[in-house]
Amino acid sequence: MEYRGSDADMDQPTFSDVLDVCHEMRAELNCDFAAIAIQDDIGTDIKWPYASGNRNEKYKRITVRYGKGIAGKVISTGRPMMISDLSNDKSSMVLEHPIMLAEQLLSAYSVPLLINGTAKGALLAGNRSSHLFTENEQNSIAKYVHKLEIMFNSNHSL
Amino acid sequence: MEGIPVTKSISSYIIQSQDEELKRIALELHEGVGQTLYSLYTGLQYIEMGIEQPGMKAYLQEMQQTMERTIKEIQMLSVELHPPTLSLGLVSAIKSYVRLYTSTYGIVVSVESIGEEKILPDQNKIAVFRVCQEALINIAKYADIDSASIQLDWREEEIKVVIVDHGQGFNVKKVLKENLSSGLGAMQERMLLAGGTCDIASTQGKGTSILIDMPL
Repeated sequence: MEYRGSDADMDQPTFSDVLDVCHEMRAELNCDFAAIAIQDDIGTDIKWPYASGNRNEKYKRITVRYGKGIAGKVISTGRPMMISDLSNDKSSMVLEHPIMLAEQLLSAYSVPLLINGTAKGALLAGNRSSHLFTENEQNSIAKYVHKLEIMFNSNHSL
Repeated sequence: MEGIPVTKSISSYIIQSQDEELKRIALELHEGVGQTLYSLYTGLQYIEMGIEQPGMKAYLQEMQQTMERTIKEIQMLSVELHPPTLSLGLVSAIKSYVRLYTSTYGIVVSVESIGEEKILPDQNKIAVFRVCQEALINIAKYADIDSASIQLDWREEEIKVVIVDHGQGFNVKKVLKENLSSGLGAMQERMLLAGGTCDIASTQGKGTSILIDMPL
């Protein structure tokens, strides 16, 4: 799913261009984890190809179904989603969000990425402590979503 | 003392009834609801071929995609309720579940089967499978590790299953006493009711091993 640039196509974003956006957002928001989920072109499965601040490599193996997990819910509804304290309901809720479990996140805010007008991905900012994402932080994340949408929509390929 | 066997048989009966009910619902979802939805899906494809209006065609394609997703959801739900691979044997069912588990939680689990797989009564097969499932879920929830292993050792008169992770570990006595994880007690209870045993050993900072022993 990752976009691979070519010599003939220098203007299109490479994998590291997209990953840099995650690094940049994590630094600006001072959050523990930032990642991008992308829905497969074929089928409806959703994977996490880009991550910054990860504690392990589990994110690379995680695949969630459309409508499941934080990314699946954000993509299926086309709306942002915030979890401010997952520890409040650790027993059952935690299994619903594998990326949060894998990265030991207690709070996250995720926003859909629109590719050609359709929600095909999600940008996520997360913390390993409970946290209520403020309006300012939400606006900052929206700024990075906009940046990514321009990158992705300019090449129509992820 | 007379109450104990009665309680045990009632608990066994309840668990067996639940398993049978889950199997029935899983089958009904797969064979009934799933097949009906598939008929509707092919019907939509047929209707789409006869429509020329671009707007309606696009709408029908969207409906087909929704239907396709719903069929997949029904299939997954059915598998989660009662894995069809259980009918092919315990090793197949565990391997199949492990594939789903790795793609869900990102934890790689190696499965090794030693000796020739023997036929287990359905009730015991489901009990061992469910306990392995619970152990893996606990690893995903608490161990904070990216790999684990399951070894099934088929002996003449018993099967021994060892589930090992080198994760955070915990104080078993404390957890069982304070009922911090009712799942652990349920695992032991379930094996006892099926005629086997489930021993849990864990060291904080070093990991956990669960030994299931089931007579054949």
